[in-house]
Amino acid sequence: MLSFNMSEEQTITRDTVARLVKDLIIDTAHEMDEAGNIPEEYIQAAWELGASIAAIPEAYGGYDMDYSPMMNAIILEELAYGDMAFAVAATLPSMFIFPVYEMGTEEQKKKYLPLFCKEAYTPCTCAINEPGFGFDPHKLKTKAVKKNGSYILNGEKCFVPLAKESSHFLIAASCDGENSFFIADAENAGINIKKPERNLGLYSLKTYEVALDNCEIPAKNRLVGNSDCNYDKIIQKSAIAMSAIGTGVSRASYEYARDYAKERIQFGEPIAHKQSIAFMIAEMAYEVEAMRLMTWKAASMLENGKDCQRDSFLARLYAGEMSMKVTDHGIQVLGGHGFIREHPVERYYRNARGVAILHGMAIV
Amino acid sequence: MKIIVTTKRVTDPDIKVTVNSDGTGIDLQDMTYKMNPFDEIAVEEAVRIKENSGGEVILLSIGPAGFQTEIRAGLAMGADRAIQVEHDDYVEPSVAARIFKKVIERESPDIVLMGKQAVDDDAGQTGQTLAFLLGWPQACFASEISINKNSAVVRREVDKGIETLEVSLPAVITADLRLNEPRYPSLPMIMKSKKKKIDTLSFSELAADIEPRVRYLSMENPMEREGSCVLFEAVDDLINALQTKAGAIR
Repeated sequence: MLSFNMSEEQTITRDTVARLVKDLIIDTAHEMDEAGNIPEEYIQAAWELGASIAAIPEAYGGYDMDYSPMMNAIILEELAYGDMAFAVAATLPSMFIFPVYEMGTEEQKKKYLPLFCKEAYTPCTCAINEPGFGFDPHKLKTKAVKKNGSYILNGEKCFVPLAKESSHFLIAASCDGENSFFIADAENAGINIKKPERNLGLYSLKTYEVALDNCEIPAKNRLVGNSDCNYDKIIQKSAIAMSAIGTGVSRASYEYARDYAKERIQFGEPIAHKQSIAFMIAEMAYEVEAMRLMTWKAASMLENGKDCQRDSFLARLYAGEMSMKVTDHGIQVLGGHGFIREHPVERYYRNARGVAILHGMAIV
Repeated sequence: MKIIVTTKRVTDPDIKVTVNSDGTGIDLQDMTYKMNPFDEIAVEEAVRIKENSGGEVILLSIGPAGFQTEIRAGLAMGADRAIQVEHDDYVEPSVAARIFKKVIERESPDIVLMGKQAVDDDAGQTGQTLAFLLGWPQACFASEISINKNSAVVRREVDKGIETLEVSLPAVITADLRLNEPRYPSLPMIMKSKKKKIDTLSFSELAADIEPRVRYLSMENPMEREGSCVLFEAVDDLINALQTKAGAIR
């Protein structure tokens, strides 16, 4: 029997995150975007919800709860409804914590998880994206070569969130034709963090290009993975997270445009009464629903231990395309007002463009 | 310190309500519900008092059977257990106060903390009525509470400034907006709330007088606002307009 009803705890979690976003983010997101910065106390407030460390055992500093990709998808949608850059920044340590926990050896978990699984938000990041046409996270150009008990990494990474602010990185690289993550210390020689990137969207999230020049990483820092989790699985989880984020940004644009259209009077009636506007709003509404359903389907398969390779990528592909369409409609409904920066629809539009392009920014 | 906090399930304050077609109430189709925001503040205050000086926080709510998410949200904030008096229909403030009185007599708390009003009907009467029925002191619209051994000192914002009251315990205290900022319960707290107990009671078990004192005749949408805002350069222009155009003064 299928049910789309949320459980009581999912409802309370969604409402809690929605309250946090309403209290702290909705009215300040534009200012944060302009300033290119998110106040630490906002990030800390979201961190204290505990989603990033919920499923990590107490021995490593977590809360020892059941792992729930569904819950994580619900949380990410609500955070992204407030602001996509905030959603990515507030949950970024998960991109380090989850792979280390799921793919790491006991020694790696003991050494690295307690550094980040604690009450204070401590930035750490993950470098997956690479510059160049047609990037595919399964075809990494960054290479790791084994040499005298170490791996030597060479390559270019881009869109690495908070690289300069992070003490540790996970670096995705190909080694003998197999994709892996390597744990790197920011102090590691051969990691060259360049100037912050100037992006189309996500102004308040600092991202960097990172060059790896003969970066030597001890062999024991490679995440080898296991039968339950490997590099591909992490990419799937990240794909579901991006579709949850795309759903949140799109819903924000849809709701803003819908309310605007009901209140904006032109030719003696609300513009929502005009068929061309009403059709756009209806399209936005059903695309948001469709994105969410695809996200939840993939997340629920993951939660039930099923292979979600196909469904996670379908969800991400759909969310990538449709968040562009929905946020574009958001601007169109507002007309000229949508083009100026006084309304948030232009920010949703710029940010949503990243859903289709950016990999490894979040994880469920 | 044993504290009872009353919590009400209200229509989502962020949703614009409209009157239903037959004028008997508001349109509840697609409605979502939340815990009354003032009650959330009361829960937060009770949990803080417990964290500082120990004790127990019990939530008390009247609401439809099977709908406990809003109560569970209060448990996730740190309350210990809850009592739900099951009832499907609207309950007016005087009936709510009489029901609460019966439960409070069973539980004998030191403090009853309530929201100063519920954001659905905005009546703001239950706290005061309850204190009267119990014969307890009341301190309404609290913006700061400090607890002594046998009394509570309550600061309340009134027109003239801040008024400070000391009430002996047990007492009824109602929470104003500025009392605190309710916490965001963490995921572990939300999960733990699943195991906390919610006892249910019925109206008949409590043998309370539930006869309503108020009859609701009809409900209608407020009139559409007309006109627009006009800014005047000088006070004389404003007075002139009030005399000649609006006819408001002579």
